[in-house]
Amino acid sequence: MNSLHQRKERFSLFAWVAVAIFGSVFLFQRDLADWVTQYPEAWTLPAATWANIGMDWFVDHFRWLFRAISWLLTWPMDAILGLLTWLPWPTTISLFIGIAFVAGGWPLALFTLFALLYMVGIGYWTESMRTLALVAVSVPLSVLVGFGLGVSAWRSERANRLVQPLLDLMQTVPTFAYLIPILLLFGFGPVVGMIASAIYACPPMVRSTVLGLQRVPEETVESGIMSGASSGQLFWWVRFPSALPTILVGVNQSTMAALSMVIIAAIIGSSADIGWEVLSTMRRANFGESLLAGIVVALIAMLLDRITRGFAQDNQRSKRAFSLSPRLILGIAGATALSFLLLSLSVTELSEFPDQWVFYPAAQINAAILFFTVEFGAALDQIKNGFLFFFLLPLRIGLENTIRPFTWGFDLTLTMKISYLIACVSLSLLGGYRYGWRVAVAIGIATVLLYFGIERMPWPAMVALLVTLAWQAGGTRVGLFTLAGLAFMLVTGVWSLGVRSLYLCFAAVLVSFIIGGSLGIWASQSDRVSRLVRPINDTLQTMPLFVLLIPILMFFQVGEFTAFLAIIAYAIVPAIRYTEHGLRHVNNEVIEAAIASGCTPLQILWQVRLPLAIPEIMLGLNQTIMFGLAMLIIAALVGTQGLGQAVYVALGQANFGEGLVAGLGIAFIAMSADRIIQAVSAGKKRALGIK
Amino acid sequence: MFKKKIFSTIAGLSMLASGVSLAGSMGAVDEPIKLAVNEWTGQHITTHVAGEILKRAGYNVEYVTAGYYPQMTAIQDNTVTATLEIWSSNIGEHYDEAVASGQAKELGDLGLVPVETWMYNDAAAKACPGLPDWNALNACADKFANADTFPKGRLVDYPADWGTSNVDRIKGLNLDYVSVPAGSEGALIAEMKGAEAKNTPLLVMFWAPHWVQAVIPLNIVALPAYEEGCHDDPAVGVNPNATWDCDWSRGYIKKMAWAGMEDKWPAAHAILEAYTLRNEDQIPMMNAIDQEGKKLDDVVRQWVDNNEAIWKPWVDAAKG
Repeated sequence: MNSLHQRKERFSLFAWVAVAIFGSVFLFQRDLADWVTQYPEAWTLPAATWANIGMDWFVDHFRWLFRAISWLLTWPMDAILGLLTWLPWPTTISLFIGIAFVAGGWPLALFTLFALLYMVGIGYWTESMRTLALVAVSVPLSVLVGFGLGVSAWRSERANRLVQPLLDLMQTVPTFAYLIPILLLFGFGPVVGMIASAIYACPPMVRSTVLGLQRVPEETVESGIMSGASSGQLFWWVRFPSALPTILVGVNQSTMAALSMVIIAAIIGSSADIGWEVLSTMRRANFGESLLAGIVVALIAMLLDRITRGFAQDNQRSKRAFSLSPRLILGIAGATALSFLLLSLSVTELSEFPDQWVFYPAAQINAAILFFTVEFGAALDQIKNGFLFFFLLPLRIGLENTIRPFTWGFDLTLTMKISYLIACVSLSLLGGYRYGWRVAVAIGIATVLLYFGIERMPWPAMVALLVTLAWQAGGTRVGLFTLAGLAFMLVTGVWSLGVRSLYLCFAAVLVSFIIGGSLGIWASQSDRVSRLVRPINDTLQTMPLFVLLIPILMFFQVGEFTAFLAIIAYAIVPAIRYTEHGLRHVNNEVIEAAIASGCTPLQILWQVRLPLAIPEIMLGLNQTIMFGLAMLIIAALVGTQGLGQAVYVALGQANFGEGLVAGLGIAFIAMSADRIIQAVSAGKKRALGIK
Repeated sequence: MFKKKIFSTIAGLSMLASGVSLAGSMGAVDEPIKLAVNEWTGQHITTHVAGEILKRAGYNVEYVTAGYYPQMTAIQDNTVTATLEIWSSNIGEHYDEAVASGQAKELGDLGLVPVETWMYNDAAAKACPGLPDWNALNACADKFANADTFPKGRLVDYPADWGTSNVDRIKGLNLDYVSVPAGSEGALIAEMKGAEAKNTPLLVMFWAPHWVQAVIPLNIVALPAYEEGCHDDPAVGVNPNATWDCDWSRGYIKKMAWAGMEDKWPAAHAILEAYTLRNEDQIPMMNAIDQEGKKLDDVVRQWVDNNEAIWKPWVDAAKG
């Protein structure tokens, strides 16, 4: 056993040494031939063209089917839209408060009142109702389809093998990329926007259904069989109710996903809803206006989240002791709603909220942003330059090219180069001596990358490095998967775009994870910080991020740094959440044992809680990467280069093939990262002996 | 399909009856004519003015929000009946493809005079006194540079998906500049607002008529004038060895309709064909909406009320 382990270690070391030699050969010979630094175009396949040809054929033959679907869906959509926009606002508010009260009691009812009054007061009532109509059709649709797919995946192993990779793709291929086929097949307009969000919202529902059904305890099923249930009864009366809590979590997640698509759906056609409002105010760079509209989306998201979650938990718990029965509350709400409806026939203020009551502080917000830009312009520029010169540029084009009088204040001399080399080698050796050879290898790679820059690494070296990393961290299958993904990017000719995206995402994820992790640790130690951080996280996750791009742009101009900040704003949330959650939920007995053996609070944090929370924190890292990659596309709106921009351009030109290739590139990066981290996390869990 | 046939038959019969032209028949007044509403205010005005005129002529009009490129697909099957502000400069091949399909056709010029080229703000005029002459640009490159582009100057360019030729133009004119694609119209405007607030020089690819010019004064760089052939013949233009060594061509703005519109709504088709709008009509309306915060509908209705002399003849001629 031990000798096997030793042999494995020696083999790994050997592999890394081979990669180092292989990489350096290419690195030092990169002037020798063009194909070393630049993957030759002659070696690429016209995959995008093939995809387009295939798609054209498919569209020609099957468009009628998809058009028919979208025509059919026009009916429920129009009906709900008509109803919601026709109902007087006080009526709708009363009904919602009633539902909220049943789902979550007084606090939720109050929150609902506040949120809906905001929508009315700000003058976005009709727009909000249109968005609500979109969600009200798309969520049931994706819940139904998702449930169906989930059940079939649970029933048949073959279906499951088909569905799982499909789900992976749906959740990692950027939404912009699959708007193109939707556009080609379903056509255009509000209904198509609704379909796009329904498709996007489907995967969480499928996953929850499968998970819920799998987790039904055997004993429950057996007792069902013993009492003579037929197979249909067994499913609907035994399995389904017992899986319901998990399935309801899926409904909740689907709702959130559908809402996050509201803005993107507006790109391919909308009914002048809130998404369109955010999109068009953003195009005018009117921050105040788009913030006010963005808050509506955030409020709708929080509202639906709390209500659906309320029902999900309600179902889990045995009936809560209500002082008022739900039926009574709904009755009161309905009666109030009806009386408002009747009143509105004579009082016009009730049927349509009068314009002069609207409070719309957009101009003030804009003035504040302008004031800030002017006052702190110089300081903001310094922050940006600091990050660019000392972090982003070295990472991308290497210290070799970054160090110039304009940036660092001096030129890179030969002595400096030699001292950098000596410093790196000794640091690596020291690391190796203290923490083992893996650390030495890591330091070695990092210093080489920093000197030459990620973008300037020869592609054979980069492929060797990444594949070895994946193989060492996750095993042979993950290594092969990563190799396949990288080969795909090379062969389809999107390699250099992919490297650009990889670099930007890596930089943003690194910073998100460091800052987010620290905030998470802090929040786990102090309830006050935790209470402060939570609403900020909620807002960052539910508010359409397009809104935040405007002030960041005004402060920092179009460029890499702006995109970098935009990605961080989104990707930092899971880093904070998972770290805090992991630290707070370490097994209590372990903590008590640590206290009993006289650990100081600091020792408990660093030597007990943190190591035990590592699997959870790794999950956070995983999510941080996924969020970062998702945001990469939106960052294209502020001018990044890379796969995100390629997808965006393809969408603009309705070029299915280009969009698919670039989108799959991102999906491969995401799935490789996911598999590597899952594998590492599973290994850690095993080592720690936690299930 | 069946419906369409009936309508064309009716249209044909009415043509026979009147014996003059297709115009004269109102066509399917009960079915809504769908006008595309794109992403920018100017287009909203163009569209709503046309829609208002059609309504007063007795038609049923519906506004459909539509992306600029996606609408080129939509117009081929009457998902969108007409779109009225197509800028020749950045629609690219989609327009040609739509026309080539036979399902969509051109409706003539809108009449707006567009300018699309490099522009600079007042702070830049102060920092680089040689402007607007383009020859002054190289000497001022450091004034326009920032950390991303130093030592080269920075041209904030159109989003990559709008299709821009400035990278070639910079090369053709031997300029020490880098094109930085802005990603969206909002990003372009945020750049301008930021530069205006901080009073820093800005060189930007932009267009007129646009409402932002009412708030932020923009000056036009005098690039070497556009000549026919300069985009593909090196001999044409200031640089004998390069293409794209000239300004953007002063393009045109077109209207476009679904091919079946003429049969289905003959008079409406004739009205839209006759419809024109001038810069001096559009700019004040843009300003009233985007800056004074007035409602689009009110502004448009007011213009239509006050300018009956302009549009009444179109309607009368169309109804024949």
